[in-house]
Amino acid sequence: MIPGLLQLLVFQGLGELLARFAVPAVPGPVLGLLLLLAWLRLGAPLGARVGAGLDEVAAAFTRHLGLLFVPAAVGVVMFLPQLREHALGIAVALVASVVATLAASAWLLRVLAPDESAAPDAGDEPGAGPPA
Amino acid sequence: MTPALPPIEEIWVYLAGSPLLALTLTLAAWHLGTRLYERSGRNPLVNPVAIAVAIVAGAIVAIGMPYATYFEGAQFVHFLLGTATVSLAVPIHRGLDALRGRVLPLLAALVGGGAVSIAVAIGMARLLGVDAPLVQGLWAKSVTAPIAMGVAERIGASPTLTAVYAVVTGVLGAALGRYVLDAVGCRAWWQRGAAIGIAAHGIGTSRAFNVHPDAGAWASLAMGLHGVLGAVLIPLAFGR
Repeated sequence: MIPGLLQLLVFQGLGELLARFAVPAVPGPVLGLLLLLAWLRLGAPLGARVGAGLDEVAAAFTRHLGLLFVPAAVGVVMFLPQLREHALGIAVALVASVVATLAASAWLLRVLAPDESAAPDAGDEPGAGPPA
Repeated sequence: MTPALPPIEEIWVYLAGSPLLALTLTLAAWHLGTRLYERSGRNPLVNPVAIAVAIVAGAIVAIGMPYATYFEGAQFVHFLLGTATVSLAVPIHRGLDALRGRVLPLLAALVGGGAVSIAVAIGMARLLGVDAPLVQGLWAKSVTAPIAMGVAERIGASPTLTAVYAVVTGVLGAALGRYVLDAVGCRAWWQRGAAIGIAAHGIGTSRAFNVHPDAGAWASLAMGLHGVLGAVLIPLAFGR
């Protein structure tokens, strides 16, 4: 676990340095992600691989990702008056946007890469619906 | 004789000033949120983030703790967002192995879906007369929240509003996903997963994993790539 966390922190640090001194438009952690990805994909001859430690830490972060944005999201208390005033507009914008995004992405994939191989049966659990 | 306890106000001042209270409150609220989510049979509408945020927000308002004080304590949790962002390299690395000949369709869906997400959200909000600062938070909301907040900082939007919109978007996408995907006739698991990952990031992705492993793997790949593309492209497109 510790070696995995250490590896992530080192790449996060490298990303922050790169963001600070070379690519200020991109957040440091995203550059850290790209550096780690490049290391994993290109560094195999040098011994790069997803070790058990990294795998464990990455899985833990995935499982509890939601916890990490609670502190920032609680800041919503400072926006409550404005949000209440524009609640309808924001709600409509969010619903319309997510429906349009799902439809556009799915449609593009379906048209550009026709694939009926793994089609779920009609009446079977179709996609991201509630479990039976 | 036991020594006299200090007055309750003194104990309170001590507790409220240390990170202990904010951290304990945050973890307890998250724990309760995940318990309720599991109890509900992982119903996307019983979202653990939304529950935890409501509990913490209610608690700090009730005890009169300013948000800045709370955040000072909870920043240790907040800091790990960056580390968690770096860890997204692992699912992307795994997903790329399964990509085979699907690079171009996926890229088209990522860029097209991302553009539609921004255009519809901003257009609708402006049309309905929403104030500009509230609209700015919509730019990055379809990108996974840790990256979205970094992007929001870069473009001068509120990271808090962006995080809140991102959570709501994830909940909506996870709940509405199957109906929209059925309506456009998208049937292959990898395509359904990728569309959910693009539109509804982490919350949609965990939903997709519950339904089918292929859908989950593609959702996490699409979510990660959307985050990377968004981080690079959104600052370029912002304000046009």
